[in-house]
Amino acid sequence: MTASSPWRGALPRLAGGLALILLPLVVSNQYHLHLASLIGAFWILVAGLNLVVGYTGQLSVGHVGLLAIGSYTFAILAGKHGWDPILTTVVAGLVCGLCGFLVGLPSLRLPEFYFAMSTLAFGLIVTELAVARTELTGGGVGLPAPFFPGPLGTPSGFYWLILAAAGLVTWLTWNVTRFMWGRSLVAIRDSPVAAASVGVPVFRAKLTVFVFSGVTAGVAGALFSSLQSYITPDTFHFELSLFFFVSIIIGGRGSILGPFVGTAVLTALPELVAPLAKLGTFFYGLLLLLVVLLVPEGVGRLVQRVIAALRPPVVEHHAIRPDLDRLRAALRAGARR
Amino acid sequence: MIRAGGVVLRAVGVTKEFGGLRALDGVSLDLRPGEVHGLIGPNGSGKTTLLNLLSGYYEADAGHVLLDDLDLSREPVQCRAALGVARTFQTPRLLGSLSVLDNAMLGGWPDVGASFVGTALALPRARREETEIRERARALLEGLGLGYALDRRANLLEHAEQRFLEIGRALVLRPRFLMLDEPAAGLTIAEIDYLGEIIGVIRESGVGVLLVEHHTDFVFRTCDRVTTLDLGRMIAHGTPEEVRKDPEVVRVYLGT
Amino acid sequence: MLIVLVTGLAIGSLYAMMGLVYNVMYSTSKVLSMTTGHLAMLGAVFGAWFMGGLGWPIWLGLPAAAAVGAAFGLLTDVVAIRRVITRSNEHLWLLSTLAVATMVQQAVGLWWGTEPRPFPRLVPQDPAGALDQKYWLPIVLVLLMAAGLGLFYRKTMFGKVFVAMSEDAFAARARGIATNRVRAMSYVISGALGAVAGFATGQLTYAFFAVGTLLTLNGFVALAVGGLGSNMGALVGGWALGIISMVASHYFGGEYQQTIAIGLLMLALLVRPQGIFGTRQVRAV
Repeated sequence: MTASSPWRGALPRLAGGLALILLPLVVSNQYHLHLASLIGAFWILVAGLNLVVGYTGQLSVGHVGLLAIGSYTFAILAGKHGWDPILTTVVAGLVCGLCGFLVGLPSLRLPEFYFAMSTLAFGLIVTELAVARTELTGGGVGLPAPFFPGPLGTPSGFYWLILAAAGLVTWLTWNVTRFMWGRSLVAIRDSPVAAASVGVPVFRAKLTVFVFSGVTAGVAGALFSSLQSYITPDTFHFELSLFFFVSIIIGGRGSILGPFVGTAVLTALPELVAPLAKLGTFFYGLLLLLVVLLVPEGVGRLVQRVIAALRPPVVEHHAIRPDLDRLRAALRAGARR
Repeated sequence: MIRAGGVVLRAVGVTKEFGGLRALDGVSLDLRPGEVHGLIGPNGSGKTTLLNLLSGYYEADAGHVLLDDLDLSREPVQCRAALGVARTFQTPRLLGSLSVLDNAMLGGWPDVGASFVGTALALPRARREETEIRERARALLEGLGLGYALDRRANLLEHAEQRFLEIGRALVLRPRFLMLDEPAAGLTIAEIDYLGEIIGVIRESGVGVLLVEHHTDFVFRTCDRVTTLDLGRMIAHGTPEEVRKDPEVVRVYLGT
Repeated sequence: MLIVLVTGLAIGSLYAMMGLVYNVMYSTSKVLSMTTGHLAMLGAVFGAWFMGGLGWPIWLGLPAAAAVGAAFGLLTDVVAIRRVITRSNEHLWLLSTLAVATMVQQAVGLWWGTEPRPFPRLVPQDPAGALDQKYWLPIVLVLLMAAGLGLFYRKTMFGKVFVAMSEDAFAARARGIATNRVRAMSYVISGALGAVAGFATGQLTYAFFAVGTLLTLNGFVALAVGGLGSNMGALVGGWALGIISMVASHYFGGEYQQTIAIGLLMLALLVRPQGIFGTRQVRAV
């Protein structure tokens, strides 16, 4: 978002993208590929949520509800009614966008804690309804979710599909953050007063971003349910919400790479390190606490700081000295029509 | 009311109470283009309250805020910014994690026409607006003397740099009216002189400036007209010479 | 129908007690702690363990459960509040208390198990329908608790310090009040109260590790409806929420409890954003 050229860092990005594309050819273990697909599906949700939590500073802890709605939409429409899975994925995104609108409309006006509690309640409500509306959701027994057709149904094919969707969502959020919208979102997070003073429609911007996060959660939910092949209300336990949230906080607010690494590490770690799986959510809580107490800006920022400490910038004291002629010219150039 | 040179921002008989305490009592003030209007008064006299009413953070209990013939009294802060009313804050409100240039660019928000979706897709409009606002912000910051710090994180700035950056952000908004809330607080004498020069250039460009200040010397030196408040009431109004000699003002300031 | 109303009143009393616990912490720290409901969970689980598992009598089990709550309250203050509260207006406390709440819930789940376990009877009484102890215990307790807090705030030196701090923490510190210590004390008290509330309601909620999140939420809804900072509001809001949700689930089925709770909250906030007994805060730029 700074003034630097968009081409800076293009090479590492290209290399990273290439590595992700070639992954299925390298990884022989099907379980590891499944894990990579899972990370991708989660990231699609977290990328959208990152705009809400990391950039706009709205602490939504209920996105598991949106994930669940997306998953059930997919399982019901593509499974029971035999809709085309690709189309259904888009529909799931739209449905969840609408849900995001309905949730955000009353709750985003409320103070921070009220908002967090409303989203928490929303997450619980969805599970409640999933259990209650047996005729629709299969109740506690759950529903099977279909695979995608043809080559997309193979583990590698599905991985590439998820990768493509994740890449698209990442690109969209990156655009949002690097243009004027990104500044306005950070302003809402860091100083709503300043945001309003330059005309940012605070509530509308919050709602827009929340709806967008709903769409990505819906798409993520559709892909997630196909990946899991069977969903029950227990799949969408509240701790999953916490996991999304913690990935962002740990990765660092106001960054895209940080939360991505957070999502990947937090998804993979408990699967690969057995003792952590046993601790499960306790481990997320502990991580969250440590980050809040030690590096509230997130681990990503910590890395930046370490780099900065190794390469200390030359901060020379500069007496401020206006250049009145340039100011005059600048004011004239920018004069209102 | 004479309309000299275009639109006037006016407060007409505004009253504001906080829990029974009357912070402003029927105060009127008008801000004309190309004029620097000083607002002075002791602590708690209602200066900042008046500024908050003009910029829309408070709603008046009685009276009106008018931009020319347009009644702004019930309009939220955001709309006033779009109409060209900009302000700075007593304690600078900057985004510490962003660069100086990014902070100033935030002021360009009213010119953004690209929608969220258009921005997410990086449509040409979003790119074009981005470039325009960036160039405008860069030029203004260089004019303000902050050209050396464009890429610096705002939370690393020194006090004067923060104050000037806030003015920069307000100018990127291309305001018709600029309200400065104690801009000289905490500045060195040399920096206050620069501030005065900057305000002069802003006036020259046709912007109406409201200067809320403690520092009365600076106000008398910089302003075309001065209004004095005490306990929420207007006690004097006129040119700096008139106000300086006003017996009420002398009494309030010398405490006799 | 009578039993529905009585259940609602009893559950509502638990919500109201959660509201009171929120208020005690809020008064000294302006923090709405995500750990609030988990205090009651601790009271129920440890009460069940002390009395059911270890076979302690109530005169030992109750203070011991309260002590566990108090210790957890102190821990919350030291770990999640003290270091965070001095930092600027970022709502870090929301994250830190959420972290602590998650940890305690999961720790109890690992140790105690994830199935609800029964809570022992506290008073010798035959099962008596609507007059059973599992209903009247929480109702009596919430009245005692509200009255006790009222007396504490008005009559004791320490309570007056709480009030002073809730009105203006800076002024309180300027007058030489050790605000850190007062806040820690308020967390200890709230911990004990929360645990006692959970203890008294254990026969309704069972000793269940996951009940804390629901109580954090419903206690907050009760308080927000009644008015943040008002004990009267917590009582009225809690009872209203308890009775409405019980009556509603009687007619529509028990699966819609959270939907009803949050619907009530939204409705109440729409009509009266500051809650029934709350006062509107003036926000300064």
